[in-house]
Amino acid sequence: MPLIRPFGFNEFWIIVLAAQWTIALSAIAFAGGGIGGLLIALLRVSDTKWPRLIATGFIRVFQGTPLLMQLFLVFFGMNIFGFAINPWLAATVALTLHASAFLGEIWRGCIEAVPSGQREAATALGLRYYNRMRYIILPQASKIAVAPTVGFLVQLIKGTSLAAIIGFTELTRQGQIINNATFSPFLVFSTVAAIYFVLCWPLSVLARRMELRFSRATAR
Amino acid sequence: MTEVNGSASPADVHGTSDLVVRMEGVNKWYGDFHALKDIELSVNRGERIVICGPSGSGKSTLIRCINQLETIQRGRVVVDGHDLTAGGKNVDIVRQETGMVFQQFNLFPHMTVLENCTLAPMKVRGISRAEAEKTARKFLERVRIPEQAEKYPAQLSGGQQQRVAIARALCMNPKIMLFDEPTSALDPEMVKEVLDTMIDLAREGMTMLCVTHEMGFARQVADRVIFMDLGEIIETGTPKDFFGNPKNERLKNFLGQIS
Ligand SMILES: Nc1ncnc2c1ncn2[C@@H]1O[C@H](COP(=O)(O)OP(=O)(O)O)[C@@H](O)[C@H]1O
Ligand SMILES: [Mg+2]
Repeated sequence: MPLIRPFGFNEFWIIVLAAQWTIALSAIAFAGGGIGGLLIALLRVSDTKWPRLIATGFIRVFQGTPLLMQLFLVFFGMNIFGFAINPWLAATVALTLHASAFLGEIWRGCIEAVPSGQREAATALGLRYYNRMRYIILPQASKIAVAPTVGFLVQLIKGTSLAAIIGFTELTRQGQIINNATFSPFLVFSTVAAIYFVLCWPLSVLARRMELRFSRATAR
Repeated sequence: MTEVNGSASPADVHGTSDLVVRMEGVNKWYGDFHALKDIELSVNRGERIVICGPSGSGKSTLIRCINQLETIQRGRVVVDGHDLTAGGKNVDIVRQETGMVFQQFNLFPHMTVLENCTLAPMKVRGISRAEAEKTARKFLERVRIPEQAEKYPAQLSGGQQQRVAIARALCMNPKIMLFDEPTSALDPEMVKEVLDTMIDLAREGMTMLCVTHEMGFARQVADRVIFMDLGEIIETGTPKDFFGNPKNERLKNFLGQIS
């Protein structure tokens, strides 16, 4: 095998296939972040002080530090706490926590955007916290939440590229590997960027459409 | 109606006394702002009370203390024998026994009229859907909109929405109904249909506390009219005395302005 090979269809296809890891990582982080985010959002709007403070602290830490540092801290932290170095696990955990914090903050806003009269009417009818949330607040908040949530998913997909730095072979890392073999950085990273674009652009369009539809629906 | 309850033991004070609401020395602050000052108010079963007063005088705050949408800092609120200040289960019980109608209707927009009316009976009282729907249709009939049951609130006029809100509260079979300016957000031509519904309710003997500036309604149904200003109850009287012979200067002023 020659030291430098040309960038051909094979190389192109290897990069395309690596997108599946980007998608898998995004999907897991988004699903995990969905569960974590709901928990954080509910704690954040709790009537009692401590859950609120804990959730706020969690959100602030993740909003106030770069995603790359979060990845590093989980990656090296795992090692310190005796887990074997595992880029897959580290990337999944870090991105899930990251998504939990951001979705938590987005969804808190959506919950609070539901008019207070809704909560009051439900309370006056004798509905308690769980039923109020489940039947009154969350169904209305989730309509408001769709557009910003899809918007965040786009950020998350692009964010997974940082997992390349801790050695997780997704789209970006595969691009680096191919580039090391072909020395055609422009071609390689154009391809990588184009694949991100193909993943993200339809979602951006979708988010914008839903936002429009929502603002039209509320303007009525 | 209370004689039906023949099996109740003497220890069962709930629901046997004629005193349904008792507020004793109630004080409420929003931060530094003293919103309710030493409120004393007793309401008997079947009584119709109208509360009026200038905007910001604490009328909403007062009736919201009865189902603890607002908590008080000093004093006592007892509803049908349940001391709200003791907290805990009492608050849940009182909310189940108290219906509330808001100025802005506050119907659940993502649910049909029927769903609005059946949710709480099913989730709070544990009644079956079939039974809850039967009750809901009965009350929708009573507020004269049975044909709107499958519609969403946004498809109804303001007056219809407010009547749904009344039906929704009645579906919980409350002992007390609280109204917070139920006609203030309505176009003038829809005020009457809501007031008529409230008058029907009063005729049937419902205990009612109504914050309203509809003085015709007060004259027609109220047993007592209460005037509030700056967080205090300034004057209380029968409609005849209240309107015919007001004593307090601020009340005279107020009546001069609204009539
Ligand atoms: N959540 C709140 N926080 C701070 N102040 C409030 C709040 N709710 C009401 N107030 C104040 O308390 C006073 C009484 O309000 P309210 O009971 O709504 O008056 P009314 O119903 O008679 O117009 C007003 O001055 C109002 O600004
Ligand atoms: Mg008010």
